[in-house]
Amino acid sequence: MNLNYEKSSIELPEAWRAKAPFFLAAGVILLMLGFLCAFGGNSNGEDNSLGFRYLCHSYLANFVYVFTFTLGALFFILVQFLTRAGWSTSIRRVAEILMMMIPYLGLLFLPIIAMLFWGSSALYEWNGKNIHNSVIASKASFYLSKEFFTARTVVYFTFWILTANWFFRISRAQDESGDAELSLLRQKWAGPLIMLFSLSASFAAFDWLMSIDADWYSTIFGVYLFAGSQMSFFAMMIVINMLLQNAGKIQKLVTVEHFHDMGKFLFGFVMFWSYIAFSQLVLIWYANIPEETFWYQVRLDNGWMTFSYCIIPIHFIIPFLFLMSRHIRRNRTALTIGAVWLLFAHWYDMTFLVMPNAGPAQLVPLFGHLLGGFGMLSIFASMFIWRADGVPLVAMRDPRLPEAMSYTNPIL
Amino acid sequence: MSEHKPRKTTEKKVPKAFGWMAEYQDENSLLAAARKVRDSGYTKTDAFTPFPVHGIDEALGIKPTILPFIVLCAGITGLSTALLMQWWMNGVDYKYIISGKPFGITPASIPVAFELTVLFSAFTTFLGMIALNQLPKFSNPVFTNPRFDRATNDRFFLYVEAADKYYNRESVKELLGGTHPDSLDEVLEDTTPSALPRPIILGAILLVIAGLIPAMIILNIRAGYSTAPRFHVFFDMDFQPKKKAQQTTTIFADGRSMRPQVKGTVGRGQLEEQDSFYLGYDPAKLTAIDTLETGKFVSLQDSKTADGSAAKPAADGSAQTPAAPAAALNLPWIDKLPIEVSEANMALGKQKFETYCSACHGYAGFGDGLVHKRADALAQGYWLAPTSLHVDKVRTQPVGQIFHTITKGQGKMASYASSLNPKERWAIVLYVRALQKSRNADMSEVPADMVKTLDEVK
Repeated sequence: MNLNYEKSSIELPEAWRAKAPFFLAAGVILLMLGFLCAFGGNSNGEDNSLGFRYLCHSYLANFVYVFTFTLGALFFILVQFLTRAGWSTSIRRVAEILMMMIPYLGLLFLPIIAMLFWGSSALYEWNGKNIHNSVIASKASFYLSKEFFTARTVVYFTFWILTANWFFRISRAQDESGDAELSLLRQKWAGPLIMLFSLSASFAAFDWLMSIDADWYSTIFGVYLFAGSQMSFFAMMIVINMLLQNAGKIQKLVTVEHFHDMGKFLFGFVMFWSYIAFSQLVLIWYANIPEETFWYQVRLDNGWMTFSYCIIPIHFIIPFLFLMSRHIRRNRTALTIGAVWLLFAHWYDMTFLVMPNAGPAQLVPLFGHLLGGFGMLSIFASMFIWRADGVPLVAMRDPRLPEAMSYTNPIL
Repeated sequence: MSEHKPRKTTEKKVPKAFGWMAEYQDENSLLAAARKVRDSGYTKTDAFTPFPVHGIDEALGIKPTILPFIVLCAGITGLSTALLMQWWMNGVDYKYIISGKPFGITPASIPVAFELTVLFSAFTTFLGMIALNQLPKFSNPVFTNPRFDRATNDRFFLYVEAADKYYNRESVKELLGGTHPDSLDEVLEDTTPSALPRPIILGAILLVIAGLIPAMIILNIRAGYSTAPRFHVFFDMDFQPKKKAQQTTTIFADGRSMRPQVKGTVGRGQLEEQDSFYLGYDPAKLTAIDTLETGKFVSLQDSKTADGSAAKPAADGSAQTPAAPAAALNLPWIDKLPIEVSEANMALGKQKFETYCSACHGYAGFGDGLVHKRADALAQGYWLAPTSLHVDKVRTQPVGQIFHTITKGQGKMASYASSLNPKERWAIVLYVRALQKSRNADMSEVPADMVKTLDEVK
């Protein structure tokens, strides 16, 4: 394949670069507005007031919401090399940029750590001084102490950042040399790293999200979050690639076949998430013991019932039926609609996981939480632009790029 | 046989032509040729390649298959079948309570619905693919050309069928010839004889007959009659060199295969029978007491262990054997706990009491456990309430007697010896004593440092 290409066609759109500070400012403002709404009529200034609980939970849910895109990107990169995939070569760089946002997003976790050391138990009950629940108290002495929690979080981030950096550095080195050995090197290490990844992602889900209900546990919880994370990652990839193409970039490099395949993954992970979510539910429903069922009870009481039941059509039935046809997945507009819908569904899922623990369902704090979600997305956009600035959007000298350009999906 | 072959060759008719097949070196020439043929309007075409070629569907102008729609319908059918079936079975026709779950469609129906959806879809995909491809086809005229063997190796073939409605022998030859094929051959009917060789037919018949032999043997045995003993396949399993209970033997003089205990020995686990720790009373002192009473007691114990029913009169205190309850009460009970009075033993006793005793006697020992409450409500007065542990009769009993009651049972209360080991039984005695003390203590018995705590509780 000849390497004659317009260098500008694989660069970040000029217009986007100027927008980054605006996105950041808008994001911060939206987050603040969201916080205000969370407090709306619920604050008495105390640590464990309802308003503060809404605020903390909303922040955590929205943080995990955007963080899972990058976590999904890291897994995607690992699995591409593990399976020696050629089709994804032309879309891999965008995923690599997403993956390289983990250090940036790590900064957004600092407020949660700060809140722990400030001594607040509004989010994590186990951080409180007088824990009334004996199960939580027994865990809080060691595993769920703020020091160990922080240490584990640091370990997860260190591992993710080192892995992402290593893959990105080699990918960039290949941009210069085009050396096939660099691909083989990454293939060699993808296997061991993916095992460590699955452990770290699972335990991060246990620590960050499941420990909100520290006396409840579900061993499938890590997989649950992983399923949502992969699904939202593919939705994000589709949206970003569409936006880049609409801005006149990477138009020939990312073909309808790539969108079709990302759409298939999106569809597959909708099903996978549902499968995992249902697996978790049916075991707990069947055993019907109070130690486990209360997690669902919390999500059905205090006005959350309608919200919780709506996750079934929003996260499963509607996108499943919508994305089933290949004609939808090969249609730019339709696929983008599906992807945007699932980005919302993932936010809805994170809300479902976290917010009922804060308190009863109230319209104003929930609206604030939605504003916060948009704020986080906005901050995410600014980070993406800064991270992507100066990086070619396609790994042009990857020896397998021609393969990615020429493959087609069979006509079914 | 010998007249057959020459006759066929003499009949030699012109083989039927099925179309043209062009051979190419690589997939790009094939794709180019396929596009050309497609653009000329031919639809009955096919390509044969050693590996899947991307874009071949588009190059050949293959129409999208309707298989996905068939599969979708099958999936919906599977889903509805599963849901309807479960709704009917568990919700209408045969309502059966399972773990107190509701009838009809529940979350537990979803896995079945999922499986049936997948099952129906998978079978339809597989069978639908077979049917739409008109498989199985045992032969295809393209195989007559020996060059075609390389289609699975390193050559690419393009085939235009004569069945195409625009087919014209000469123009297709010209068209394919213009795509620079390596070779261009007309696909001809296979003229080799299609009859099966005789040895194969003979072999097949023999195989079928041989396959009938086992069935014949079984039929013969089923219908026949034999006086011969059963055939032992595993002789050493059917006849093992060992004796079972109650069998006779010639090894011992008395002919019993079950051996009585040797005099002057103690069997494993039997030592405890002679220790006050296991009995609750002192067996040495027992022999010093009135032998008549003792004899009655011992016989009572024996009959009790034999079938347990003889304990009833003693427990009921009825007049049948008036001496028995008296004898039971006059045993030389030990009144000092043989276990240490410690925090650990107290905790053990509390745990075991709450597990085994509280159901009837209640957590505080007032004889008001849940079993009592329920039975009292059901029996409407016929139910005899469990003894309160705080009545004088129990409070004045020596610890050994309480231990004995737990071990052997009393009245309606069954023996707990099989559920609780002796140490646990003593721990329960200790806990019962503590319960009794808690209802009958005055301030002078409370340790000085605890008085303040008590005041606070008040």
